[in-house]
Amino acid sequence: MIVPAREYKFSEIIADPVIKARWEKVRRYFFLRESTYDMSNRCNIRCEGCYYFAGEKQFAEENRDPAAWRQLLEAEKARGITFVVLAGAEPSLVPELCEVCHGVIPLGAIASNGLHSLPPGIDYRIHLSVWGNDRTSLAIRKAPDMLVRQMANYQNDPRAVWVYTFTPVNIDEAREVTEILAKGGLQITFNMFSSPVGYKGPLRHTPQTLARTEQVMTELLAEFPETVLFSPYNILAHTRPQGLHELFSCSYPRMNQATDIGLGRTFRQYRTNLQWDREAACCVPDTDCDDCRHYAAGSAVVTARMYRHATDPLTFSAWLDYVDTYLAVWVKGYAKSPNLCEAPVIPPPNNELPPV
Amino acid sequence: MNTDLPQTITRIAEIIINTLQLEDVTPQTFDPDLDLVDEVGIDSMDLATIALVLRDEYGIRIDEDDYPKLTTVRIIAEYINAKLTSGE
Repeated sequence: MIVPAREYKFSEIIADPVIKARWEKVRRYFFLRESTYDMSNRCNIRCEGCYYFAGEKQFAEENRDPAAWRQLLEAEKARGITFVVLAGAEPSLVPELCEVCHGVIPLGAIASNGLHSLPPGIDYRIHLSVWGNDRTSLAIRKAPDMLVRQMANYQNDPRAVWVYTFTPVNIDEAREVTEILAKGGLQITFNMFSSPVGYKGPLRHTPQTLARTEQVMTELLAEFPETVLFSPYNILAHTRPQGLHELFSCSYPRMNQATDIGLGRTFRQYRTNLQWDREAACCVPDTDCDDCRHYAAGSAVVTARMYRHATDPLTFSAWLDYVDTYLAVWVKGYAKSPNLCEAPVIPPPNNELPPV
Repeated sequence: MNTDLPQTITRIAEIIINTLQLEDVTPQTFDPDLDLVDEVGIDSMDLATIALVLRDEYGIRIDEDDYPKLTTVRIIAEYINAKLTSGE
């Protein structure tokens, strides 16, 4: 663990011109206010451990009325939402509703399995899920040739970024997938399988698989810096034995009672019937919070903890790398810069949780 | 360190104006009782940035779980003065 030699003022930290430039780059996006929306209760595949088909939300009735969606999105815009995440179960099955959302709020991302291509007019970032090579995908997602079909649908599409979810059974396949995407000039980022509540299957990570994942992510980031959208601090934050909540205190409403400011005030997770429930509202509902290392959660939760990272130039640089990565993954047109911090910065102590 | 409340209020208003690059307002005209979230439109990242500048200025630590309480310039000034007085 790296211990700062002394206490730094924030003004001293950002006096470094390189840090200052990165700080000014990322802070321009502090206006982003996200909410997420389940677009459909259907999916064209069924993956083991899928968060959507856990809990109650899968039973919500679909609202397929574009006018109702437009009304909802206009109300969302009016209350300050500037970024939408269109997710569960499979948004590409309802492209006309995605178009409505894009027409009202122009910044956003769509989580898709990539087996249907979304119309080019929907100018959101598109996250294409990868759960291993195509042999493993066939076993876990029951769908053949997933990567081949995703690449056929999204080759040369600047909206697309592949999201590789590390599970205990696919860690060593990440190299094969990354090499294929690198050859195609495509980009990949990393996610961690985070168990749905009650999940007892083989995809839950163990200390050994977390350590192995850390090793593989580190190798791939070093070998494919143009392909892999990640940073050393992303790797550390997402492969600790502790989940994100224990490390950073999750700021989504489900785990955060405060309604005065931040995500606790503005974030909502709408089900496909256009209803939302504060008690369940987070970026990946029905995830076991103790096991949550989800990339979407980290993007908000780590970013929100700027203050505690502003202790010294190295730690703040690591945080800037994390935010720069999150923006490159989520905001179309945002270009990631080279990482500033290659050192292994351990997440700062979390003083918000009561001592055990 | 000065703990005079009106002076602290003016200085905090100045810090907020400079940090957030607010226009059409001066430290003297900034209403210290404006709700910073509802009426000025700041959010958590803005407040975290302001907290860092205040940490530099006053040498105090602002706990992350205190952010939701800091809803106006006057409340922030009282919070800082209390910290300075107690020597935290």
